Amino acid sequence: MQQVTIQITVNDEVYIRTVPANTTLLQFLREELQLTGTKEGCDEGECGACTVLVEGHPMNSCLVLAAELDGKHVLTVEGLATDGRLHPLQEAFLEVGAVQCGYCTPGMLLSGIALLNLYPHPTREQIRKEMEGNICRCTGYARIADAIMLAAERLDPNHTNNA
Amino acid sequence: MLPKFELYMPTDLSEACRLKGEGAEVVAGGTDVFVNMHGGKDRSARVVDVKNVPELQGHTFDPVTGLDLGALTTHREIELWDVIKQHYRAMFEGCSRVGSVQIRTRGTLGGNICNGAPSADSIGPMLVHDARVVVAGPSGEREVPLKDFYLALKKLDMGPDELLKRIRIPAPPAHSGSFYIKYTRRNAMDLALLGMSAYVELEGDVMKTVRIALTTAAPTPIRAEKTEALLTGKTAAPELLAEAGKTVLQESHPRSSWRSSAEFRLALLEELTVQALEQAIALAKEG
Amino acid sequence: MMQEGRDWDRLVVSRKDTTGEEAVIGHTQIRKGGIAKVTGTAQFGADVDQPGQLYGAVLHSPYAHARILHVNTEKAQALPGVRAVVVGSDFPTLYGSFIADQPVVAQEKVRYQGEPVAAVAADTEELAHEAVRLIEVEYEPLPVVNDLETSMKNEVLIHEDWSRYDCSSACFPQQGTNIGDQYHLKKGDVEQGFAEADEIVESDFSCGMLQHTTIETHTATAKADPVSGEIHIWSPSQSPFSIRGLLAKTFHVPLEKVRLTVTEIGGGFGGKYEARCEPIAIALSLKAKGRPVKLTYRRDEEFAATVCRSPVHMHIKTGVKRDGTLTAQQVTIEWDAGAYVTTNPRVDYNAGFAANGPYKLPNAQVDGYVYMTNKTLGTAYRGFGVTEVATAHERQMDLIAERLGMDPLELRLKNVLRNGDTGITGETMQTMAVAECLEGAAANVEWNALPDRWVDEEGNLCGKGIACFNKLTGTPSTTSVLVKMNENGSLYIMSASTEMGQGVTTTLPQIAAQALGMDLEKISVAPVDTAITPYDKTTTSSRSTFHSGNAVLEACADIKNQLCRLAALKFKVDAAEVEYTAEGYIQCRTDPDKRIHINDVGKSGILHEQAPVAAIGRYGTSDIFDPPPVDGRQSKRPTVMWMHGAQAAIVAVNPKTGRVQVKKVGAAHDVGKAINPTGCLQQIEGSIIMGLGHALMEEMIYEDGKLRNGNMVDYKVPTFMDSDVEMKITLVEQAHPEGPYGVKGIGEPGLAPTAAAIVNAVCHACNADFTSIPIKPEHILFRKERGDASQI
Repeated sequence: MQQVTIQITVNDEVYIRTVPANTTLLQFLREELQLTGTKEGCDEGECGACTVLVEGHPMNSCLVLAAELDGKHVLTVEGLATDGRLHPLQEAFLEVGAVQCGYCTPGMLLSGIALLNLYPHPTREQIRKEMEGNICRCTGYARIADAIMLAAERLDPNHTNNA
Repeated sequence: MLPKFELYMPTDLSEACRLKGEGAEVVAGGTDVFVNMHGGKDRSARVVDVKNVPELQGHTFDPVTGLDLGALTTHREIELWDVIKQHYRAMFEGCSRVGSVQIRTRGTLGGNICNGAPSADSIGPMLVHDARVVVAGPSGEREVPLKDFYLALKKLDMGPDELLKRIRIPAPPAHSGSFYIKYTRRNAMDLALLGMSAYVELEGDVMKTVRIALTTAAPTPIRAEKTEALLTGKTAAPELLAEAGKTVLQESHPRSSWRSSAEFRLALLEELTVQALEQAIALAKEG
Repeated sequence: MMQEGRDWDRLVVSRKDTTGEEAVIGHTQIRKGGIAKVTGTAQFGADVDQPGQLYGAVLHSPYAHARILHVNTEKAQALPGVRAVVVGSDFPTLYGSFIADQPVVAQEKVRYQGEPVAAVAADTEELAHEAVRLIEVEYEPLPVVNDLETSMKNEVLIHEDWSRYDCSSACFPQQGTNIGDQYHLKKGDVEQGFAEADEIVESDFSCGMLQHTTIETHTATAKADPVSGEIHIWSPSQSPFSIRGLLAKTFHVPLEKVRLTVTEIGGGFGGKYEARCEPIAIALSLKAKGRPVKLTYRRDEEFAATVCRSPVHMHIKTGVKRDGTLTAQQVTIEWDAGAYVTTNPRVDYNAGFAANGPYKLPNAQVDGYVYMTNKTLGTAYRGFGVTEVATAHERQMDLIAERLGMDPLELRLKNVLRNGDTGITGETMQTMAVAECLEGAAANVEWNALPDRWVDEEGNLCGKGIACFNKLTGTPSTTSVLVKMNENGSLYIMSASTEMGQGVTTTLPQIAAQALGMDLEKISVAPVDTAITPYDKTTTSSRSTFHSGNAVLEACADIKNQLCRLAALKFKVDAAEVEYTAEGYIQCRTDPDKRIHINDVGKSGILHEQAPVAAIGRYGTSDIFDPPPVDGRQSKRPTVMWMHGAQAAIVAVNPKTGRVQVKKVGAAHDVGKAINPTGCLQQIEGSIIMGLGHALMEEMIYEDGKLRNGNMVDYKVPTFMDSDVEMKITLVEQAHPEGPYGVKGIGEPGLAPTAAAIVNAVCHACNADFTSIPIKPEHILFRKERGDASQI
């Protein structure tokens, strides 16, 4: 089996690893790095549970090869809290009740972070569109949108949103 | 879980072509190939990742010559590019409704074309914008109109050692407009039950050029040329559009499946033809 | 504190007889365990790894119905790294909680496409799957029973001989047929009731086959020692004790030797009530000399080889007087239940009691039949059949209203059960608030201001629909909790009411905090492990906050006594002189200066070197239960708790494309007492979107025993883009006298009326009678519009 050596930065930590060529980023994170916060839901890009950011872009880690990511930066749910403090989006998820069973939550958070980078003050319509690839079976989505709105406010409190 | 394979990541076009010629599966965004591999449908022993081939990268717009898109251009790049929304509305409508943000971030136009799925969302819009594809291989390059590129279901006019290199789409003239309607059962993460693309160029009230493309209405994406002929040179009137809706039915061959009946697809085709034309005409009037 | 009163506040509380003045309950609290879920440290099923672990993979049958002639595992066995291969004959015991009809791995024949035929444990997942592909099976295909019609003919029997199986007293198969269970309710005389009626209305309704589609698939890691017989399983199991019992029986070991450690559960909805990966992982571990084996189903296996909600066909006939008074109703329910009986008898039973809705009916008859088919297995699905029968009885109520020219709301209000009315089993109903729920739901969509149908600016056909339901909780059942005080005065609650998103690990601490006057932060629920956690029957049936809450209250009363005794030692007074005040003070009656607040117990010194404070709380419902006899199911108390609610929906239907948009849903549910109001809303909001999926999108499609759409694109659960529904929710608080602080369940009820309300709204909008869900665009485009009411 062909092995590939990569240097990859995950949550600001640099790893050099040699893995089989067919290793997906999802497998790499969960099995090689033991970062099990990223979840597998379908392994086909249809549920969004495995969403991570690669160079800031949301991707289904089940459809990305680890071998492609030599020199790249990856952000996973484990990298969101810093210095023992939750990211404002994590905080907002808890405060408005956007978490139920929690299995879709890591993917939702990463898609949410990407969305806030693109639209710092999103409308609900933008939220629904940008989050369309993350399936949640518990919440009905409304509170997830609420949480993103709240986090947007907190990340830029001076902005008044008329939307 | 992906099957075992040898992975190649060439940075050279001819090397990529050679590997493909030797039977390696070409992967760009991986949103089709890896899905098939996970599902066990594709057990290719060799995979060639073409993302590092410079000739396939980049995308530019020139107001005179139009779009020059590397085959690796992603749906997301199209979706977020102002030029597209402004001049190639159908492409925006199509590319922004492929899969999800995650899928669009990875999935490429080249992949969408080469996968040859009858439901591909970017194909219809590119067909009505009269796209041409540049195919490269050991014997050089050739440019093929996209509408002639599909030979049969999942069969393309491309040799085993050829790769889709670029997509060229003319700049739409003033007073032109295009639109794409993706009909799905749910509002996201769905395959088109039917895809309807329309492009209209107006001269006053007269439709100087009309192009209509159908996806999921036949084994390959098709142009509705009879309907185009019916409309070309005429003034857009509700009765004429209604007639176009009926004419489209003669040149489409939807099938019944567990997804939906042919009767339903035909009913939709008629309705969506009118809607897509109306939208394209409205945009043409604005332009 | 949680955010309240913003645009994400969709709540209206309608207090019927509660005060809302409590300190901890009745206020929204942040979910316990939430931090682990947002930081990714929460350990779900597949996140568990054991040292020396092997990986399992399963060979599934490609046939829906076939005899197994031969299984050759030689090539798989020979593959280096393969540690165990299991075939049917290795574990010949059959299992099943109602009737033991199901093999761990198929034996003489397969009964559905996807049934496990062999399993492998190997060093890596890749190797395990490779080995599975090397197993050769020779089948002799048998005729396939794809639907109810074929099943009813009994020409092909899926189970040839029911009498061979170990059958519980709660399952009623019919020998020589495909009927795996039946239910019969008889109240009064329906024929006489029909004779007294001015009008007879009859209708049919069918519900499609649904998947729970939890985002976490089924998974289990098992370590089973073939020498000692000790079995340890780690799995996201909804009901660990019921699975423990089943596994002990299946593997012939004493109950206490089976230990199930519950991981975080990535969604349940009834789907994680059945043992799916657990038995196979155990079998593999036993054959692999006791090495741990992890088996995680892929999404396609989840669809093909786990569980679903059975499709069902229902026929209803109602007699009604011209003034709208119902005189009789007869319901026939036919479940298309899949290849094994599983929990279908419970679905059949619960649906049977709910089939007539929350209405006064002097005469009623319900006949339910569980028909076996060659499809994946029906089981519990958020409501145990109640959502399905609600679509039928609520459609029927609208048809009656149309026939009589009455408003659908008015007809319902005229007939709903109120306190003191006689219920469907002859029970005298109490704590009823169906009327309030109907009125609340209607008000939330401004029902009275809207016509039945109208056309909006865009040419969409719009309509309103309303639906209500009644649901019982499984009775009798029992539960127990252990509440123990840590050395610092904080509390652990040990309860096997598992957390799967519904919020029970927040409501139980709230109940304890309220009872003790203690800070909520000091109370948490410990992880669930059957070797440690006290017994609880199941986490189903919306029973947890009610039952375990009662147990927590009993334990807290004991904790108070223990603390009073300890404080008395410190105060140097007689124990009888120390009381526990409502504010949480442990205080000397005669000298109130001598007092310790519960929050300060840790530092007070009263715990030091004293008998540790720990209490058991128990709750059971056998004493109040009047077992409904098989013949007619009449009972003075068939359940400890009825749940009720209503929802109203506003829809816009595009007549040209057949697309339906649910614009607004107004809900009102009687929760008894909202312990955690946002928790209640989460259940209802999630249910509304789930119900929207059931009404309009979701359906497992089988053709000749083959599943066509076993993936998450073709099986369409609602996405974020489908969630643009304005929701307004009223929590009605009609306290339950036996519920902790008046609580009633809300885990399942949110879903019960949703599809029914949407169907009624779409029917109104289109002036058509749709008789099945999901209502698809095709149905709308090719609908038959109806004439005037007299033709209905």
